[in-house]
Amino acid sequence: MSSRIRVFSTSVGTKLLIGVTGLALFLFLISHIAGNALIFLGRDTFNTYSHTLTSNPLIPVIEIVLLLIFLVHIYKTVTMYLRNQQARPVAYQAKKSQGSPSRRSVSSLTMIITGLWLLIFVVIHVKGFKYGAYYAVDGADGVRDLHRLVVENFRSPLMVAFYVVSMLIVGSHLWHGVSSGFQSLGLDHPRWTPRILAFGKAFAVLIGGGFILITLYVHLFGGQVGQ
Amino acid sequence: MRLNLKIWRQAGPNAAGRLVDYVAENVSPDMSFLEMLDVVNESLLRKGEESIAFDSDCREGICGMCSLVVNGVPHGPDRGTTVCQLHMRRFKDGDTITIEPWRARAFPVVKDLVVDRSAFDRIIAAGGYVSINCGGAPDGNAIPIPKDVAEAAMDSAQCIACGACVAACKNASAHLFMSAKISQLALLPQGDAERERRVVAMIEQADAEGFGSCSNEAECEAVCPKEIPISNIAKMTREYVRAVLAAK
Ligand code: HEM
Ligand code: FES
Repeated sequence: MSSRIRVFSTSVGTKLLIGVTGLALFLFLISHIAGNALIFLGRDTFNTYSHTLTSNPLIPVIEIVLLLIFLVHIYKTVTMYLRNQQARPVAYQAKKSQGSPSRRSVSSLTMIITGLWLLIFVVIHVKGFKYGAYYAVDGADGVRDLHRLVVENFRSPLMVAFYVVSMLIVGSHLWHGVSSGFQSLGLDHPRWTPRILAFGKAFAVLIGGGFILITLYVHLFGGQVGQ
Repeated sequence: MRLNLKIWRQAGPNAAGRLVDYVAENVSPDMSFLEMLDVVNESLLRKGEESIAFDSDCREGICGMCSLVVNGVPHGPDRGTTVCQLHMRRFKDGDTITIEPWRARAFPVVKDLVVDRSAFDRIIAAGGYVSINCGGAPDGNAIPIPKDVAEAAMDSAQCIACGACVAACKNASAHLFMSAKISQLALLPQGDAERERRVVAMIEQADAEGFGSCSNEAECEAVCPKEIPISNIAKMTREYVRAVLAAK
């Protein structure tokens, strides 16, 4: 068993873990945005959805698993970043990308910065919503009015700006991250890799842009259009 | 042509280095990049100054000795070539060219532009070979290998171990180099017997040498003079998973 654990401390094993945890977080984001998009259908639909979700007894287990995945991703990426920095103690005076077929981009060069921003974002985000003010839905016992909390949170232009920037940053993290995650798992195929690269970028835009849309919609219309 | 050169000079492994300005006069566009440096060195020697140390051997792109970062790109601006195959017609009169050595903790500078790449030898020595005893040379047709497999193995075998992949990688990772050898041998029946042991030993050796890990940017593929793709790195990962699962 000990040798199996050591597997994840080699450079290749480390990337396997980062890839698995990164893609798991990506899957979580897809389900998260799909659920949150229900806000476009109005307060009642949104509250019914969030109540069904949070009252599911499996949710605490899933939350712990998600937290562990998140912590492993952070621990592995930060320690790997520090190690990689040591691998080149003297920097180049002039350094340039060779260009195609290189996939280097602003996104790939800033993974550690966008990642650390996301860590701060997630702390603020969870504090503001999961552990935010508790409003009850009138007449429905034990149903939390999360819709109201969302609307109140996004009333502040400062909060909206923070969310918009953070969602641009999550988009940037995924722009390189999604396809990189597949590559880290050993997936590379002449037919599939170009599709995975395009798929990753498309989802980065959809997820980043989708959350921004939700934020702006709630801010501008109070989540009330169509009611 | 007249060129302004900024060249990394470093007296020894522990000395501090810096970029020094030189002017190369009367450079012909037909010269190779290394011939241009030879001419600069001759003029330095005439002036009684110490010549610039740089590695080269075959000067035709097959040995992997030459190793210069030209204007920030290992082996210079042309794709699929070593710096000894780079020609001065690629530059314009009056250009400024910065020339630096490969930079990686695992590739310490010996002098000026020369680095010590013996870390690569130790990675190969850890498992990049076939050591099973298979008796006398068998008949060539006795080991059938499909043509496409043989070609894929040959593509990986093209690596000349120059180290440009390490030089280009933001993490100074040796993954492209190792994975080329691992893929080549894993594809062939002769390499099959030791494939699990090989991949683990080579990865552990590369980590011990202080090379970094892979961020999947493929900057290595873009500078590789043999255009070896990072699909080799993915294959190495699959070989590693296989080895771990097969471990007793
Ligand atoms: C919403 C949360 C996050 C998602 C969806 C996510 C997703 C991903 C994905 C898919 C990858 C590619 C994996 C690979 O290259 O194998 C990745 C890489 C990375 N992540 Fe995250 N991540 C998240 C949060 C974070 C956080 C909080 C950090 C904090 C340090 C971080 C730092 C990194 C770094 C540095 C890499 C690059 C690894 C490399 O250079 O190879 N990520 N992430
Ligand atoms: S000197 Fe042999 S490859 Fe350049």
